[in-house]
Amino acid sequence: MENVLRLTDMSIAFGGLMALDGLNLEVNKGEIVAIIGPNGAGKTTAFNCITGIYTPTSGNIEYLGESIINKEPSDITKKGIARTFQNIRLFKELSVFENVLIAMHLRYNDNIFTSTFRLNKKMEDEMREETKKLLDSQDLYKYRNDVAGSLPYGIQRRLEIARALATSPTLLLLDEPAAGMNPQETMELTSYIKKIRDEFGLTVLLIEHHMDLVMDISERIYVIDFGKLIAKGTAEEVQNNPKVIEAYLGVQDDA
Amino acid sequence: MNKLNFKEKTNINLLMYLAIIVVSVTILIFLDMNKFQYNYVISIIEKSLVYAVVALSMNIVTGFTGLFSLGQAGFMALGAYTTAILTIPIASRPNVYYMNGILPALENAIVPIPVALILGGVVAGVFAALIGIPILRLKSDYLAIATLGFSEIIRAVIASPMMDKITNGSYGLKSIPGFKSSLECFAYSLICIVIMILIINSSTGRDFKAVREDEIAARAVGINLFKTKELSFVVSSFFTGIGGGLLAMFMRSIDSKTFQITLTYDILLIVVLGGIGSITGSIVGAFFVTAGKELLRFFDEPLIIGGVQIPLFKPGFRMVIFSILLMIVVLFFRKGLLGGKELSFNKLMKVRRKKNLDEPGGNA
Ligand SMILES: Nc1ncnc2c1ncn2[C@@H]1O[C@H](COP(=O)(O)OP(=O)(O)OP(=O)(O)O)[C@@H](O)[C@H]1O
Ligand SMILES: [Mg+2]
Repeated sequence: MENVLRLTDMSIAFGGLMALDGLNLEVNKGEIVAIIGPNGAGKTTAFNCITGIYTPTSGNIEYLGESIINKEPSDITKKGIARTFQNIRLFKELSVFENVLIAMHLRYNDNIFTSTFRLNKKMEDEMREETKKLLDSQDLYKYRNDVAGSLPYGIQRRLEIARALATSPTLLLLDEPAAGMNPQETMELTSYIKKIRDEFGLTVLLIEHHMDLVMDISERIYVIDFGKLIAKGTAEEVQNNPKVIEAYLGVQDDA
Repeated sequence: MNKLNFKEKTNINLLMYLAIIVVSVTILIFLDMNKFQYNYVISIIEKSLVYAVVALSMNIVTGFTGLFSLGQAGFMALGAYTTAILTIPIASRPNVYYMNGILPALENAIVPIPVALILGGVVAGVFAALIGIPILRLKSDYLAIATLGFSEIIRAVIASPMMDKITNGSYGLKSIPGFKSSLECFAYSLICIVIMILIINSSTGRDFKAVREDEIAARAVGINLFKTKELSFVVSSFFTGIGGGLLAMFMRSIDSKTFQITLTYDILLIVVLGGIGSITGSIVGAFFVTAGKELLRFFDEPLIIGGVQIPLFKPGFRMVIFSILLMIVVLFFRKGLLGGKELSFNKLMKVRRKKNLDEPGGNA
């Protein structure tokens, strides 16, 4: 099985706080892998390290066999890692169409001269055509002229995924994609994630707060608590792990 | 069907803009022909045009990229001095530099006006590129302070005795060739404005907007934050430099005091009043503020009613009025009069038919 992502002994400290402490994690091609853990466990921090927003204090991150530590976030995206954010980050005042169109830019090589004097017309047309197709396939085309920030929450989440897909990723990172969704919507999301995985040939790493949600979808699960990996394995293995039960009992209130 | 409607919409807008240009040109020709009668009006129009260029260039960096830069006066100074030095007639130079003489290399350096304007833009752009490297990595609030400081440094350097043979130090430069007609001013401004609009509506402009909207999300879709900011800053400064050159031509004589902070403040006023992130706002705002300041001039004259001099009416009072106006706009129209939107003939004429018929991003 081809390895897509490998974190080795990755640690990051903020001041005195070890947000991640020696994390080891692997994701293989075509897998859907989940990271779970209580609030403040360090899940989002792991994503921020992978995408280059934070630089780990120590350890290594390999993507398709190549170390991506110290790389610019935009370069990491260009290599094929796309993500969504826990607190949706859309280009709020731009249209749905523009949100996706902007994410198409990275695959086209135009510069300020070609774009200003419209010498890139062919590229621009292609980008627009692709955007249209992608929006169509994600059932978002009808919203294309709407201002992204004005859309209902659920649609914004889907748009954020569509925007990530527009960068043609190999590895898709989803940070709590089901946050704020009701059980019905969550179920739909589950099948949607599987669908795009197959359609776009993706490898997916996702963060979820609630264990029961990821049981259905993920082949393997990593459990983090206080920055440390406390368990890993299949849904069943993880579910019956006493450490996991303990970690979750401690925070049952906000789970 | 979609395409048709989209084309139609673009064409109507384009036609209307062409119509505006034709009408403007006609009016300007008329004014030029009666120059002596309309001198005052012509000068207001020319100044408005120059300010429109600078305001729009400020809007590129502030309104469209979300970087709050306050270096306008400094970049204008660079453009203005470059243009002036390279266009003052050779015969007039001994007269201009009568105190300290002129650098031998500059004695005979003269280029056509359009070339001088572009070089002015290039000089401003190069400075922007250099100072951009350290300061664009700063948080936005520091950026404003750093650019403001830069602007003052440029002014101090220009006025320093060290630069006497180039900038003529504190004496300033005069005999700068002015616009032969208001049409010349209009042509230069129009070219700058059109190119800036093309940039804003291009894929490069979309990257600027993405950075403005959300820096982290922009990086996550493959936009290099620093390169994009640097590009926006350089482009903006380039046009600010050209705007400075145009201002030099408009004023015909400049010195370091021309480029005080109040100049940046004037431009800021236009951008904020017109609407941060609105192209038409900056253009309309430039005319509104420039003409408004002239109309408000009587507030600066002593006013005597029934033998009593009203105390408020003294030089500087109109600036107070303008500042109050600015505060009102900021308080009640947070996003300026146009609020980041554009004046468009489609909206005005309501030719927009069913919403779902028009193609997205029609303005590109
Ligand atoms: N930039 C930062 N500076 C300082 N501390 C940070 C920073 N980012 C994260 N942390 C801290 O690191 C810890 C892990 O945070 P993180 O956001 O990764 O948690 P999480 O597992 O995603 O939690 P949640 O389920 O609430 O999203 C927290 O204690 C947080 O306060
Ligand atoms: Mg999180």
